[in-house]
Amino acid sequence: MSDLGLSDLQRWFQAVVTHPDGISVGAESEEAIAIAPLSRNELESMVTRSEKLSAQERLSIYAQAYFARLIECLGESFPVLKQTLGEELFNGFAFGYLQQYPSRSYTLARLADKFAQFLHETRPSNDEATADGEDLHPSWPDFLIDLANLEWNIADVFDGPGIEKITTLNAEQLLDVTPEQWGAIRLQTAPCLRLMKTQFPVNGYFTAIRLADNDTKVDPPSPEDSYVALSRREYIVRRHELSRPQYELLVALQDGRTIAEAIEHAALAGGMSDDDLIKNLPSWFGAWTRHQFFVSFEVT
Amino acid sequence: MTTPRLGHADLGLGVGLRSPHYDYILEHWPAVDWFEVISENYMDSQGRPRYILDQIAERYPLVMHGVSLSIGSSDPLDREYLNGLKALAKDIKPAWISDHICWTGIAARNTHDLLPVPFTEQTLRHVVERVRIVQDVLERPFVLENPSSYVQFQGSTMNEWEFVTRLAEDADCGLLLDVNNVYVSSFNHDMDPETFIRSLPHERIVQFHLAGHSNYRTHIIDTHDNHVIDPVWDLYRIAHELTGGVSTMLEWDANIPAFPVVHNEVLKAKQFVGDHLLRAETGDAPGDLDVQQGAQSVPHPLHFVSADVE
Repeated sequence: MSDLGLSDLQRWFQAVVTHPDGISVGAESEEAIAIAPLSRNELESMVTRSEKLSAQERLSIYAQAYFARLIECLGESFPVLKQTLGEELFNGFAFGYLQQYPSRSYTLARLADKFAQFLHETRPSNDEATADGEDLHPSWPDFLIDLANLEWNIADVFDGPGIEKITTLNAEQLLDVTPEQWGAIRLQTAPCLRLMKTQFPVNGYFTAIRLADNDTKVDPPSPEDSYVALSRREYIVRRHELSRPQYELLVALQDGRTIAEAIEHAALAGGMSDDDLIKNLPSWFGAWTRHQFFVSFEVT
Repeated sequence: MTTPRLGHADLGLGVGLRSPHYDYILEHWPAVDWFEVISENYMDSQGRPRYILDQIAERYPLVMHGVSLSIGSSDPLDREYLNGLKALAKDIKPAWISDHICWTGIAARNTHDLLPVPFTEQTLRHVVERVRIVQDVLERPFVLENPSSYVQFQGSTMNEWEFVTRLAEDADCGLLLDVNNVYVSSFNHDMDPETFIRSLPHERIVQFHLAGHSNYRTHIIDTHDNHVIDPVWDLYRIAHELTGGVSTMLEWDANIPAFPVVHNEVLKAKQFVGDHLLRAETGDAPGDLDVQQGAQSVPHPLHFVSADVE
């Protein structure tokens, strides 16, 4: 077996050291056997032993490091989710995720991209949770998925495009718009503006966890449709709670609708009368321009 | 006749730029000779890491150090990655760009580990060809580092220092001699670290790495989580004599202490250069037999930048 070509050797090595059940099972896996038909006792035909360690023990160093390193990295990507689940349970999810979605990127910054999707794909149905007699709130998986989405978006906004080097729209510029033009303008939202709708108030929970000391237990919240805007100023991610009409209005504006169209959409989808919504606009836009949600506008 | 360091500058004593030290550096602008930056942490960044790097690049010499080139892999070279490296280099103008003699994955996967290559003629031809391509693309000095390793392959037909030497000479590239990695790999593979260092083409060595590690008695893990031990400083002294002195940099990647502690660690190198060739006492460095107990640590690289959020 020592005469394997470089490509075969690397495929064999990767199959063995990344196998979830360890070196022995990995060496006898279908993928590894197809390249090198070895039993777990024949690893020294591929890898030398040292004075103190067998080939299997030496290979195990890579196998242990593979999952440990990436699970640690995922834990750093989702600190609040990890604290919520506890280390053992979080690591179990991470272990499953790495098997389902092994990294294919040169950067660890992309490692967590599909983690929330993985949680969604593997979530137990409410029926299963009940049938197993588990003490699971029916919506517990949705809470975890919401939380994972929030943390992933925070990380993505943190290192993605921002507005620090460009001029953003201020309230005075909007005041220059004539009343006749007002409804017809379209706002260009900041590239770092991320609008999220969640089934649980995970943004408030995120805050509570960060403010709590280590000994304080923070109970997960009850389900409640919630809305949050993520943005970035001075290279720090900022979180802003939104009401439903605010969220709907911002989503419509981000989609490129005119202000008039966005108001109509927000009133309808947000359950607020046009008049009430219009009354709130000055204070909303005042806050949003201070938060630098918009970079420019055009009159159509 | 090759000139020392391949003609590159001796930048002095540098430190690896790590995110826990960002605020300290911006506040104090410490008197560090130069910084080495992890390329992958900045090449795609459009946020705070890149903003900070740009400020540091205005004040300090920089070297780019990568962990994802996978020069030894049988997979095709990642052109997107190479282009990203080149773009970052265009902006921050590093003295050189380095990566490791290793592979990180195959079949489009990335283990994010520095996996060992078999030391064969086939591997040598393969890596030499790829180094030439990388040099052509980057159009900047390119330097390869000896990684720590925990296995060697039965199929190897030469030892590591012969492979490293032939690779550097055939591909005409520089070497980043990680003195700690020599110690770690030599311990793990029952080799003599001094022979390793004495056998290398010293004029091609343009940079040294120093770091701490974790000794488990049966093997050593390259954890970058502690002070440099005295036997590694001894090897450094030998390497310094053989090369005439090259840019030296300290890596500290886990349990990262305050910046002055890291900086002071690399400044200890001054005790081993110039006329002071006797073994120096480094004080707080753990000895060779300071073995670890319990759960095994994870070897580097783990270079992840967490988000700043209010």
